[in-house]
Parts: sequence; structure tokens; C-alpha cells
Amino acid sequence: MPETDLHDLSDDLDYTVLQRQGSTSNLSVDSARTSDPSESEIVYSKENVAVHPSQYASERISGRLRIAKQGSLFLLTWTPYKAASSLSDSVVRNLNSSVSEKDRNLYTIKPVSLNDIHSIRRHVPALGWQYIIIVLSSGIAFPPLYFYNGGVRGFFATLKQHVFIVRSANDSNVFLLNDFEGPLQRSLSSLELPRVFSVANGTPVHDSPSEVSAIDDSVNVNRITSSGTFSASEYGGSLKNKANDPTHDISIQVLEKFSLVTKFAREATSQIFREFQDNHEKNDKNQKICSSWDVTEVSQPNEGGNDTQSKADDIVETSDAPKFDELSLVWGKQRQPPLTQEEWENFLDSEGRVTDSMAFRKRVFYGGVEQKLRKKVWKFLLGYYEFDSTYAERDYLESVRKTDYETVKSQWKNISEAQAKRFTKFRERRGLIDKDVVRTDRSVSYFEGDDNPNVAVLRDILLTYSFYNFDLGYCQGMSDFLSPILFVMRDESEAFWTFVALMERLGPNFNRDQSGMHSQLFALSKLVELLDHPLHNFLKQADCLNYFFCFRWILIQFKREFEYEKIMHLWEVLWTHYPSEHLQLYICVAILRSHRKKIMGENMDFDTLLKFINGLSYQIDLDAIIRDAEALCVCAGENGAACIPPGTPPSLPVDSDTGLYSHQDDEIL
Amino acid sequence: MSYAYLFKYIIIGDTGVGKSCLLLQFTDKRFQPVHDLTIGVEFGARMITIDNKPIKLQIWDTAGQESFRSITRSYYRGAAGALLVYDITRRETFNHLASWLEDARQHANANMTIMLIGNKSDLSHRRAVSTEEGQQFAKEHGLIFMEASAKTAQNVEEAFINTAATIYKKIQDGVFDVSNESYGIKIGYGGIQGPAGGRESSSQAGGCCS
Repeated sequence: MPETDLHDLSDDLDYTVLQRQGSTSNLSVDSARTSDPSESEIVYSKENVAVHPSQYASERISGRLRIAKQGSLFLLTWTPYKAASSLSDSVVRNLNSSVSEKDRNLYTIKPVSLNDIHSIRRHVPALGWQYIIIVLSSGIAFPPLYFYNGGVRGFFATLKQHVFIVRSANDSNVFLLNDFEGPLQRSLSSLELPRVFSVANGTPVHDSPSEVSAIDDSVNVNRITSSGTFSASEYGGSLKNKANDPTHDISIQVLEKFSLVTKFAREATSQIFREFQDNHEKNDKNQKICSSWDVTEVSQPNEGGNDTQSKADDIVETSDAPKFDELSLVWGKQRQPPLTQEEWENFLDSEGRVTDSMAFRKRVFYGGVEQKLRKKVWKFLLGYYEFDSTYAERDYLESVRKTDYETVKSQWKNISEAQAKRFTKFRERRGLIDKDVVRTDRSVSYFEGDDNPNVAVLRDILLTYSFYNFDLGYCQGMSDFLSPILFVMRDESEAFWTFVALMERLGPNFNRDQSGMHSQLFALSKLVELLDHPLHNFLKQADCLNYFFCFRWILIQFKREFEYEKIMHLWEVLWTHYPSEHLQLYICVAILRSHRKKIMGENMDFDTLLKFINGLSYQIDLDAIIRDAEALCVCAGENGAACIPPGTPPSLPVDSDTGLYSHQDDEIL
Repeated sequence: MSYAYLFKYIIIGDTGVGKSCLLLQFTDKRFQPVHDLTIGVEFGARMITIDNKPIKLQIWDTAGQESFRSITRSYYRGAAGALLVYDITRRETFNHLASWLEDARQHANANMTIMLIGNKSDLSHRRAVSTEEGQQFAKEHGLIFMEASAKTAQNVEEAFINTAATIYKKIQDGVFDVSNESYGIKIGYGGIQGPAGGRESSSQAGGCCS
């Protein structure tokens, strides 16, 4: 049995490097303890494979990736190391690690059969860690697994020995497992759909974190640390040890607390609440602004008897369950009227800088902005303008950008019909965009009517963008984003660059491999698991954990769910990134939660749920949902943030290895 | 509204071939050239009558762009019928049929009835695919075939209803185990009553599955 992992790794560079370093190979370390009680045989084991729940180094979770053979089945697992407290090798531990035991377990990959894996995407950047993304046949994707010790090739070498594996014709970094179809089929898109749902149901489950791993692994960790390529920051960990299945417990607790909180808060709002106002504003300017609405401070009902009052509407950090007791009144703040011109001017210094961008974003978060201010404000929110830029700098930027835009635009403008005849990709993109702009918001007066010039501008911007970002190209849904932007900007070049800024963050929604969508849907499932465990369980047994029923919400940030004016409001609220960069996910949770009774009560299956969710279009109370989402976000605190893999849109991509949009090998576009 | 059976349909095909227009023509008997492009999926439903039995069609109208194939595949599950649509004025939409068919074969149940529709037959002056080619493709792949026009409504009723008739016949022939909903067929409560041919319009009506 100890011989099991002696497969040929001669082509594995990482492996040979390890050997040369004279260190003990991870593989052989593990082969010593392959005698499992369940009579499974470990055919692969890799230490220091990590999940990065957020962009913070302190929150990285290291663990062990394994493949075990059980009868004829090969089961893959990833188990986080226990945040070991007893070990003295604190050299490699980062005491600031903020990831608790339950969070570490959140990402555990319970035994999943290789038969249930659809594909594995690998990223082998020249700089930085190699990682893989595993996508199940059900459409669920696990967060990236970073190989701190390298060895992605070795991993694939092992896979190759046990399962049928082929490289995707679409993307050389995607490997398809169990792909027994013909080449035609193989050339189709790289992700597919639910056929198997064993993750949710069938497979054996034992999710206790590996107890010994941290000890065993210390050897490797030390080696790596000494080689200077790896900082084992994820090792510290808060040393809370909870009894069995802490993840489950905490989510129930969060849920219960939240129900109490919301219930109480709802009642309270109607009776006790006056609009409560920040008494912590950092500068007089804001004070003046706030008082100008004649709002008064509210004193919180003294439920908890704690001193939360002094923190009125500050975001309360809640990394630990016990703290929820203090949160007797966490409820999204009363919404405010939109930002006015006068207030806006008060945020600017004499040269036009937004001096306190945090206060500004917060103000926009709670009330949005008046229509006529959107043109300016959106540019800041989306990052087209820097907050600390001056009037003069912005004027200059605009003039330069205007020229830049014309330059990019001229690239396709100069393509003659004779040339276009020989340029299929261009023709197809143009055809697609032509077809779509006439189907975008034509009921909005700005775009309505035959031969509307604004529709032509919409088209020109999209076509120019598809040249500016040729890798991403054009994808349906982009016109939904651009339409309100053009409506607000009323200027081709300005709309273009604002759109570009938005796509820097949301472009991955349109990645051909759907990676941006999958990471958001995955994070959403984790958030629901955290914030509403019963609903999560329900969706699990209903085979709905891929959250495809929320696809449209996320793809175009609820564009089809609200009227035009409201969507502009929601977008500017989301773009503040105020309580969270990923508030859109909390909005999803809030909407789902507001219908949880019906969803579970009627025992909806995937079809019914999808239909139901579609039917919510234009039925959602926007202000209430934003408040719910804010409250959920505050409640979830760091636990919520830890549910969201790094690089999940609208976070900026973590990758810098292969360009912004790696390998968009699209056939059609 | 009571029905004897409920059939789930899915409309697939390249973007811009007129899937949503076919649906709207069938459910609302109108042609609306200006409508929002489909993101994800939209729903429509209508009652029809086959063999004097009221049958409800629940129709899933999908997004056509290649990028969304992976999501579209999740809609095949439990579909009893599919309308595979191409645009007779755009050759490439015909050329892509094979890959659509592959998807359908792989992700739908084997007994799903597929109707091939060459849409925009009113634009015969711009025709890029001949009727014979459509027929030939259908024949080779065992599909029912029809050219139709969502604009003039030509053959639209027929397309949806013939598909239903084929499914209905399969039920009569015992091809389906109708108690197994994975075939995309549900049995209604009151199979006898219900105004024959009554329509339930609204392409976005929610919650009308049972």
C-alpha cells in the first residue's frame, strides 16, 4: 500500500525541484499513513494547498488536498489544517490570522468522486502561486486551491493515471474529466450542467479537520519558509475550538439572531424609530449637511443594555457569535433622500477634491444621488475619476480621454467592407451588437423610436469597447449596463470610459468560461449557508445549490428586476462598496430570505424556483431590500466576508499572470 | 386553470433567430419587434387542446448567446419538447444547429420531441437557407420540421401544437412513464374540464406550474 503514490512524476518540474532541494516529498510523507479506517487508499496527497477566502493574507487557509481510492471510486478531498494551538513552531504562524476554526471548515471539500468533476482549470502564473479551480458536473465550482509548494503538474499527472482526462479544445488551461464525448461536443463550452448531484447528496461525509496535519506539515512549512517563497500566514488562526460541525452551529445562530433582530427592528421602526443620524461624523461639513435635512438622532431602545448606542450606525464588527447579543438593533439604517448639489459641493475642497471619500461613499450609500449629479458622481464611484483629483486634472483627463476614445473607435471605423468580408470575428461581433442595441431599453424614452441616434451611440460604444478589450469582446448583458450609463452621461466618450471603469470590475461576469459568475454564485451559496441555514438545506435537497436561478440578478446587477430610475439608484448604492464590496450578494440573500417561507413552504423544485424568481421582476421593494442587505452584511461581518473567494467580482481580479481576461478563446466571437 | 397534462417546452437556437418573438406570437398572438433581449430565461404559458384534452404548455424561452450555453443546459432538465430555431436569412444560425442538437441530446431526456423551425419565412427574399436543406437536416436527425414566421404568425400555432400532438401520441403509445416528471410531463388535476383552447397569456406570469 505505501507504494501507491509512486507514479511517474518525471515530467513534474515541481516534483523534481523538490527532490533536488533534498526535502522530503510531500507525497512520500503521506504515503506513510495511508491505512485509513475506511479502507481507502491514498493515491495523492498534497500539503499546503490553500484557499484564500479574501484578499487578506491573514485569512488564507492552508490544508491538504487528497485523492483516495475507495473500491473503484476515487474521492477528492481538501481538508483545512486545524488551527493548531499546541505546536511550538510558532515561527511560521502568523498570530494575526483572523480565520476562525469554523471559517476554516467552511471551505472543506468533502469527499467528491472524480466522476462528479466536470473540469479543472489550472492557473500557472509566472509569478505567484499556482492554483486550480475544480468545477463539478453540477455546475458548482470550488474556490481556487492555491498550491503553495507548486505541484499542479504533479496533480494532473496523478489524475491522468486514474481518470480519463482531456484538455479542453476551447481553453488549454481547462482539463475535462470524464469527457467521453466526441470532439464536436468537446469543443462546446467548457462548463455544463447538472447531471450528477452527489456532492449534495450521496457521498460519504466526514468533515473533521485533519488532526495531525499541522504537525506533519511543519517540516514542509519550515522548509518552504526558509526558502523564502512562502509566508505561512494562514497558520495562526484564532484558537477557538468548537465542538463538532461548528459551521452549522454558527449559521443557525446567526439566523436566529437575525430573525430576532429583524423582527424586533421592523416593529421598532414603525413605533420608536425616528430617523437616526450619525453622531460620529468626522467633519463639520457633513454635520451641516445632515442637519440640513432636519433629521434628529435616535436613541436606541435599550434592549441589550449595552453601549452600542454610542456607535449608532457604525458598521458593527461581528466576527464572533457572542457579539450578536449586543446587536439587539442591527437593522439597516433608514434610507435618506438623494444627495443634492449643495451637499455635493460641500464634499469638495476648493480645487475640487473629494476630501473624505469614505464619508462621501457612505452618504451615497444611504441615499443615492439626484439625477443631475449622477454624471459626476458615477465617475468617481466607478473609479474613472480619482477622489483626490482636482477640477483641472479632471478636465485634462476628459480631453485626453476624448482623443483616446476616437483613436480606439477609428480602429473599427476604418475597416472597409472588403476587409470586413475577411474578418469574421469583427462581422460577427458587429452583427451581434447591432441586433442587441435595438433590443435594449427601447421603452425608455431616451432610446425609443425608429432610427434613434442614441441607439447608434450605444452600438458605437459597444463596438469600440470590443476593440478596446478584444479578449473579452462583446457579451449579452453589456448593453444593459451601458444603457443607463449613456443615459446619465449623454456623451459618447464619457459613457465609454465610465463603462470601461465598470467593466474593470464586472467584466468577469462575461468571461466566456463564466468564472466570474461561478465565483459569485459560489459565494452566494456560502452566504446563504451562513445566514440562513434552513434555506440552504432546503436548496441543497432540491438540487438548487448552483444558484443558477440567481444568474440574471448577478450578471447584470438586477437590471431586469427594477425600473430604470430604481436601477440607477441601486447601482450607485452598490458601487459605493460601502458596507461591502459584494453587497450585491447580500441583496440576493435578502431577496431570497424575504421569500423563504414561500420557497420552502411550497417545496419548490429548480424549475418552479427559477420561474418564481423570474416573476419577482419589478415586484421588489428596493429600499427595504437594501436595508435588509445592509443588516445581513453587518450581521455576517467577517464570517460573511470569508464566504467570498478573492477576486470575486466586483473585486479586482487577483490574477495578473495572463492578462486581464485570460484565454477568451471564443468560437463565435 | 385545469388541464389534463402539462408539457414543458424549451426554445433554443442562436441569438436573434426570433425565439422570443415566436413565443410571444404563440402566447399573445402579436408580433413585437422591439423587446428586450433575453437574459437567462423567460417563461410563457398557454392552454391548447389535443384530442379534446386541455393541455397546458409551459414554455422556456432561453438566451441564445454562446457564452450562456452552460446556464442554458440547466433548463433542459425535464423538458418534453424543444423548439430548435434558426433564421432562414442567416446561414450561420443553420450551421450551428448541430451543436445545439448535441446539447439537447446530452442534457435533455432521450424522448424529448424536437421541432426544427426555420423562422422568418416572411423574409424569403433574403433567404440564405433553402427549405430543402432544413428538411434534409430534420430528416437526418429525426426531427419534425417547419418553416414559420413569428411576424406573420404563419405556422406558429402549428409548430407548438404539432409538437404537443407528437408528445401526446408518445404518451398514448406508452413511451413515457407520465408519473415520472423528468419527462417534462405533469398530469393535471381536472383533466376533463377547462375551456378548450383557452389561453393563458402573459409571457412572464409567475407561479403557474401546478
